[in-house]
Amino acid sequence: MTEQKQLFDAAAIAAAITRMADAIVAEFHPESDNGGFALIGIYKQGVPLAERLIEAIAERSGGCRPELAKLDISMYRDDVGLRSGLPLIRETVIPFNMENKRVILVDDVLSSGRSIRAALDAVTDYGRPALIRLAVLVDRGMPEYPIRADYVGLRVEAPADRKIRVDFKENDGIDAIREVSWHRDAMPQNTD
Amino acid sequence: MEFRWHRKDLLSLYDLSREEIEYILDTAEEFKKVSERNVKKVPALRGKTVVNFFVEPSTRTRISFELAEQRLSADIINVAVDASSLKKGETLLDTVRNIEALQVDLLVMRHRATGAQNFIAQNVRCGVINAGDGAHSHPTQALLDIFTIRQRKGRVAGLNVTIVGDILHSRVARSNIWGLLKLGARVTLAGPATLVPREFEKVGVRVCHNLRDALRDADVVNLLRIQHERQTAGFFPSVNEYARFFGLNQETFQYLRPDALVMHPGPINRDVELDSAVADGPNSVILEQVTNGLAVRMAVLFLVAGCGNK
Amino acid sequence: MKSSNFILKGGRVIDPARGIDRVMDIGVSDGLITAPETVRNPEIIDVSGLVVTPGLIDLHVHLRQPGNTAAETIATGTMAAAAGGFTAIVAMPNTTPAADTPGAIEYLRQTAARQGVVRVLPCGCLTRNRAGKEMAGIGGLHSAGVVALSDDGGCIQDHALMRHVAEYAHSFGLPILDHCEDAFLAANGVMHEGEWSVLLGMNGIASASEELMVARDIILSRLTGARIHVQHVSARESVDLIRQARRQGLPVTGEATPHHIALTDECIKTYDTNYKMNPPLRSEADRQALIAGLADGTITVIATDHAPHTATAKLVEFDDAPFGIIGLETALPITLTLLVHSGILTLPDLIAKFTTGPAEVLGLGHCDLAEGHPADITVFDPDCAYEIDPSTFHSKARNTPFGGMKVRGRVRQTIVGGRTVYRYPEQA
Repeated sequence: MTEQKQLFDAAAIAAAITRMADAIVAEFHPESDNGGFALIGIYKQGVPLAERLIEAIAERSGGCRPELAKLDISMYRDDVGLRSGLPLIRETVIPFNMENKRVILVDDVLSSGRSIRAALDAVTDYGRPALIRLAVLVDRGMPEYPIRADYVGLRVEAPADRKIRVDFKENDGIDAIREVSWHRDAMPQNTD
Repeated sequence: MEFRWHRKDLLSLYDLSREEIEYILDTAEEFKKVSERNVKKVPALRGKTVVNFFVEPSTRTRISFELAEQRLSADIINVAVDASSLKKGETLLDTVRNIEALQVDLLVMRHRATGAQNFIAQNVRCGVINAGDGAHSHPTQALLDIFTIRQRKGRVAGLNVTIVGDILHSRVARSNIWGLLKLGARVTLAGPATLVPREFEKVGVRVCHNLRDALRDADVVNLLRIQHERQTAGFFPSVNEYARFFGLNQETFQYLRPDALVMHPGPINRDVELDSAVADGPNSVILEQVTNGLAVRMAVLFLVAGCGNK
Repeated sequence: MKSSNFILKGGRVIDPARGIDRVMDIGVSDGLITAPETVRNPEIIDVSGLVVTPGLIDLHVHLRQPGNTAAETIATGTMAAAAGGFTAIVAMPNTTPAADTPGAIEYLRQTAARQGVVRVLPCGCLTRNRAGKEMAGIGGLHSAGVVALSDDGGCIQDHALMRHVAEYAHSFGLPILDHCEDAFLAANGVMHEGEWSVLLGMNGIASASEELMVARDIILSRLTGARIHVQHVSARESVDLIRQARRQGLPVTGEATPHHIALTDECIKTYDTNYKMNPPLRSEADRQALIAGLADGTITVIATDHAPHTATAKLVEFDDAPFGIIGLETALPITLTLLVHSGILTLPDLIAKFTTGPAEVLGLGHCDLAEGHPADITVFDPDCAYEIDPSTFHSKARNTPFGGMKVRGRVRQTIVGGRTVYRYPEQA
């Protein structure tokens, strides 16, 4: 069985998302003429997080909502052949032209930085964005690649052999952030 | 627990579950979109070495695999039968072990002998993808056929699929039979009794020696290429007679439903098993099959490589 | 091991020729069976709990010498026979060169005398070089000491030639051991034609290819009076034909192999080339018909068709692998397990298939444990349970799919002319 310890509850998550939305609005000015930008949720947990951020941004900017894209990075990962089983590739949906777009990559946890590296490759294969920012709900502060998040909801320090698991109501029926013992089969897709 | 892919070889659809077949088709949907982008390449197999080992001539299957490998960023080596040392009296297993010793990750293999890929897969560590063995199995061809049916019809279960031609000697037919049955289609085999043995009834398909009966109610008709050497071997009297009784022409085409799909694995003998007007007509999805073949092979390569070595 | 005087004490003696099945002692003096009380200074060998039978005979063995001594030799093949409980084996003539001349038979006899462990009974070819074109020098082969004639591995396709060969062989009193196969119907086949060949997409060998030639041989036996023995019967239709022929009193016999009794064509889905043999493994219905034929006396002989091949020869694509499976060291345990322990045959009935059955085909005068006859004796434990382990075989070859099979029955001692040539457990 997986050992686990709850770190944050639904209220803490909601507050964190609010803080992230405030910071994004402050930099991107959705109401201005130049307000077009998009959030790209990285499967699996980056997608509901991006959806929630879009709602929070819309509330703070008179209903102006950035566009939503969903990104599967399976084809861009650098650990092909190292995993014991392959989960199904999810549908990448990019309903806009990436060329010169301002985009924010959204993921639940920034750990090693490998997923974000893969996501950067994937995004740039769809076009040449004007700028790319990174928003994560949880930053573990232990990147293996030179990648830092621009918008961080919560900072967590946990031992390297523990993993931070984020559950969202949309996918898991509950909002919670937990520290769990690392277990390959328990690992949700596309987190590092 | 969500389903995950675990196979390091793809040898025959006979071995696969319905879930696994659908998993490949679902994966192929995403890879099909890669080929529709401006950047038609992903780094999924970067640093992996794939050997296309064809111990039997092939043009279209090899090209399709090769392009699929390129679009996955794999390193590729092509070994054709003339270039290989098989002709110097080396055994097949020795040849493959020599290739494997070069730290190859995947072997895409075609061979004239039934079961050759199973034999090799039992004796090597690298992944093996069957690109056609004897009259036994050609799983990626069947997968692309089924993928095309599913995309066009929105489903496979409950459809009537008729396969016409030299079933006895066809690995395409056998692979389609396993795949289609597992996904719940109803399969009819049609052709002369010399080429369509009754034994197939034991696995739950309909055997029909009259083309008109086989075409009625068919949602899909898949015509197989007729090999001229079968005439020499006495399986039918002449290509003309075959075309007259078992070819899909404008007259027999009338027996099909208006929305039926006409398929052919290629290369077509025009006006033998398939009339030119029908091959180029609105019901034909033959070129779409080729396009889909690329996506299906990318999916298979990605999944099999993703599971690593034994 | 030296010839000596001894008494096999307390064994269950099964001697089908004389209808004996009871616990009794068997004496051996100077290579002959003698009354126990007359044996001088006997070694007493306790065989209580074991079965004592006349030495088993295998009508169908490929020794591969000359021509393919990498796969088997007369020395290793006869040692394998001894370990399997056989005291006499018929050596098929499809060596390279084929045994179609008196010189070839003489070579076999001399080599077997020097290096052989059990009795090697030579079989000569029906046609020159087994080509099915011209009759071999049958009279000369007879003078050289052949016990039978066969083109095994091939079959004379020309019915007129077969008729003449049958008539001519019959005039020398030689039986024909025929590999019944229509070459046109069997062409390019690698396995039984049926559900599995269709599923696997392999070229099939229709049962009809065997049935046609069995029918042909029966018709020619009726025409010529020749004794024709059908080798390795595999198809149910062939069993039916032989049953009818025997009811009509024709001199037609048939043999079944342990592998056709044990296995079916479904095994080939593994692509293990050790399942590739000719005639091929057939359907379950064929297997059952073969067993029924053994039970009702239609099939009077069990023979191994011991066909050694090197590992290299078998480690290839199924289409390219040679036909054949070894059988000398597994025949008795497999048939004991599948036929006797399962209640299909009585133990004496099974022993008859290995002794009197083959002896009748060859017209051998005696195959029993009567006093004064050569002491060819097999002693086995009918119940000993173990797993077949090919690494322990005496044959040079290992082409068997039976490794790991759980069997009951183990050969304990094989005696040829009063000499113990095999004993289990073996001395280091």
